[in-house]
Amino acid sequence: MIISAASRDNSPRLAIVRVGIALGLLFLMVNLFHVQIMDRDRYGDREQAQSLRRIRLPAARGEIVDRNGVVLANNRPSYDIAISLDQLGRVSKRQDVARIAETNILAMSRAIGLPVTVTDENIRNHYYRRRPLPLPLWRDLPAATVAAFEERAGNWPGTDLIVTPVRQYPYASLAAHLLGYCGKAEQTEDEEVENFYYYQSDSTGKQGVERAFDDDLRGAPGGHTIRVNPSGMKVGEVGDKPAERGNRIVLTIDVRIQQIVENALAHTVLPAGKKLCGAVVVIDPRNGEILALASAPTFDPNVSVVPLLNATGSPLLNHATGARYAPGSTFKPVTLLAGLESGKVSASDTAVCGGGLQIGNRRFGCWNTHGHGRMDAFTAMMQSCDVWFYQEGMRAGVEAITRMAGELGLGQSASVDFAHDLAGGVPTPEWKREHFNEKWWESDTAQLAIGQSYLLATPLQMANVAATLGNGGTRWRPFAVKQIESPDGKTLQITQPVVLSRLSVRSQNLAVVRQAMLGAVQSAQGTGHHAAVRGLTVAGKTGTAEFNKKDGINRAWFIGFAPFEQPVVAVAVLIEDGVSGGHVAAPVAGQIFAGIFKSSLETTGGGPIYVD
Amino acid sequence: MSISRQLQQLKRMDWLLTVAVVLLAIGSVAFIYSASYRGPGQPMPDYYRMQIGWFVVGAVLYVAAAVVDYRWICQWATVWYVVAVLLLLLVLFTGMKVYGARRWLGWHGFGIQPSEVAKLAVLVALSYYLFHRTVEMRRQWATIGGALAILAVPLVLIFAQPDLGSAVILALVTVGLLFVAGVRVKHLVVLVVAGVLAMPVMWLRMREYQKARLTVFLDPDRDPLGAGWNLNQSLIAVGSGGFGGKGYLQGTQNLLGYLPRTVAPNDFLFSVIAEEKGFVGSVCVVGLFAVILFRGLRIAAEARDRLGMLLATGIVGLLFFHVFVNIGMTIGLLPVKGLPLPLLSYGGSFVLATMTALGLLQNVWIHRRNY
Repeated sequence: MIISAASRDNSPRLAIVRVGIALGLLFLMVNLFHVQIMDRDRYGDREQAQSLRRIRLPAARGEIVDRNGVVLANNRPSYDIAISLDQLGRVSKRQDVARIAETNILAMSRAIGLPVTVTDENIRNHYYRRRPLPLPLWRDLPAATVAAFEERAGNWPGTDLIVTPVRQYPYASLAAHLLGYCGKAEQTEDEEVENFYYYQSDSTGKQGVERAFDDDLRGAPGGHTIRVNPSGMKVGEVGDKPAERGNRIVLTIDVRIQQIVENALAHTVLPAGKKLCGAVVVIDPRNGEILALASAPTFDPNVSVVPLLNATGSPLLNHATGARYAPGSTFKPVTLLAGLESGKVSASDTAVCGGGLQIGNRRFGCWNTHGHGRMDAFTAMMQSCDVWFYQEGMRAGVEAITRMAGELGLGQSASVDFAHDLAGGVPTPEWKREHFNEKWWESDTAQLAIGQSYLLATPLQMANVAATLGNGGTRWRPFAVKQIESPDGKTLQITQPVVLSRLSVRSQNLAVVRQAMLGAVQSAQGTGHHAAVRGLTVAGKTGTAEFNKKDGINRAWFIGFAPFEQPVVAVAVLIEDGVSGGHVAAPVAGQIFAGIFKSSLETTGGGPIYVD
Repeated sequence: MSISRQLQQLKRMDWLLTVAVVLLAIGSVAFIYSASYRGPGQPMPDYYRMQIGWFVVGAVLYVAAAVVDYRWICQWATVWYVVAVLLLLLVLFTGMKVYGARRWLGWHGFGIQPSEVAKLAVLVALSYYLFHRTVEMRRQWATIGGALAILAVPLVLIFAQPDLGSAVILALVTVGLLFVAGVRVKHLVVLVVAGVLAMPVMWLRMREYQKARLTVFLDPDRDPLGAGWNLNQSLIAVGSGGFGGKGYLQGTQNLLGYLPRTVAPNDFLFSVIAEEKGFVGSVCVVGLFAVILFRGLRIAAEARDRLGMLLATGIVGLLFFHVFVNIGMTIGLLPVKGLPLPLLSYGGSFVLATMTALGLLQNVWIHRRNY
């Protein structure tokens, strides 16, 4: 009994122990609640992060077609042989995988007759960093090799034939600068890469439509989710999201016109020793659609452009939008329009050209050193007399000329949809003071009047000047993408033509300019006569801008539109080292006009080869 | 007393306690199966069959330890104690080295862990010793000194294996026993403070891997692929289990081997349960342990004598510290220690020791006072 009494003495301490244990268990429960309920998502994410791997499946790029549906860019299958190292891992010990892979690769190489392309280091790197992905051994194999491989594929465990889409341009270099090209997407630290443990890069547009519309063309990459064990071996598949093909881009260009243009450009007649470098832009003056755009030299986007990146002549450069030139005499219609609008110049104003004009203490020559004789607006435009334009330009004043140049879109980017086209530059007295800290002289105005003196424009801008003069004064935004369609053909977006501005000019003044441009081509004495086409009324203007007097390098230009009454085509031709606009650029434009209107001239004498 | 009369006494045992033990044993086999599972048709280690065997043997020990009067068992305390110390010495010199520690006595393919035997033997010895101290003696330092002397030899031997977890638990149980035995609280405080001050000395004596475990506990991401791996993976397993768990045999942490397969069936079995059965499973496990622990404390309070009270309290303390440290370890509350979870973790010696201890608990209950 004494013992039991003693036992009872201790019951307060037992009670304390009971409370202690209760608190201990409660502490565990609270913490388990915290880990399993409150922080469940955090640990769930960590569990997935370590055991789930997402493999990116690149999407096939969308097609690019011309306005009539002719395919200019699509994809073809590339047959690659690849080896899956994690499948080798299942049949053998980990450290032997690289050796077994090498043995298999060597055997395959002998059987299909292709040299081994991967090194021991490649295999090991791949094994440690991209284990669940197949390692490509040979890419883009011809059908015979594929057949040879398939016959014996069973002999080599873990090897697979993989089909990947490769960008293809069926017309090779046709419209290459407009379409652009694709390259391997750069692997950046952006969020998309983080989402995919294994980033299988796809191609991305690097220039032209391919680049500007990359978001549409790219499609949505698919994902392939697999589960891996701690050694990175694939143990199962969790889910699949197929890649979505990119959208289809319908261009405004017409393959037939593009071919005519490229053909004409390629056949530019140049004196021996001069390399062809230039650009042609054809625009529909009724809405700004680019019907053709060519740049020379050109390239084949099917072939890697890497060797061309620093090549002489910049074959990758789109000379129509990415290069600026003094427009020379093709600017004279702008000067004339500015003068007429200013009220200080009249079409009947005359000047006597004796081959040059004394301005201040300097004599400025006319291109025709013998002199044109007595000139008015029409004859001066027709024969491109510099003296008349010196005189009348100075009469109009620099302000009137630069304002008109601006109204026609010079000095500002045309904001085309497929490229960042250059703004060019229209010099003003303020600009000159700012850049050269010099006064603007009267002679500067005279130079500006004939399209020299720091004036710079892209062929695209000059084509749009022709289009704006041609259509009666509406400046449309030039564009190359007519509409965007989903891969299954639903129209997603139609480009609405945009009016950038309407010229605030009197119609009779514009009529004078157009009439003068008509004479420059249609008249036998016109400098642009080589652009004339029998049966078609072509209006235009040539230009020969001095670039390097010492080496005799001139920018040869022609801008024009046709038919004169209701123009449906406006053209700008530029040849970088083209000697003379009238003899080199105008014939190219002539071929283009003839080509475009050929079929209709034979039948109705009406519209161009494309039908809207 | 004849054997049959002794077995008759079994009717007096705490059936609720037995039910909790049986449920945990069933859970043990089921989740050891899951922890060894490798996917359909895959070969797997048969730990779960072995565990069934251990529980069968354990059941015999449970009954045996329950029916033979604990007072008689405790009279032999010196013998148990000496046997335990001899086994501990033996393991130090002839034990199998596993992961750098000598904890196992190998014998014809079976291994026993003397530290599990020692924990029980020390408990019996301490209870018996304190039982024989009068109230006055217990209020003096001499009693504490005697208890520490009993503790010292096995503690040093266990620490030398090294089995830091078992050593710490043994020390904590001793403090608990001294507390319920009626030692002055002032003395206990001095003792605990002295123990804490001795920690730096222990640190110097610790092996590198033990130090690594402690530092990783303080910062698990310090070495996520090395010493922090188990802790991180266990936390991920428990946390990703969520409320209802991923389902039996569906625990990816365990199935894919993120939770290392060497530890999943034993020290980290709770992580497997928590991953596959979620918070619900955790509540069930902790709840069943609560049943055992609180019934055990009731047994201590109702014990016929001080010996029974001390013995029962010591057993409850031993179980509680194992449960607390093990579950605490799986959720990162305590340093990763090689301490198994009673009744659930795979392991022969520990199952047998635990079943024997629970049998002794029933023993105290069966021989409780009759009012």
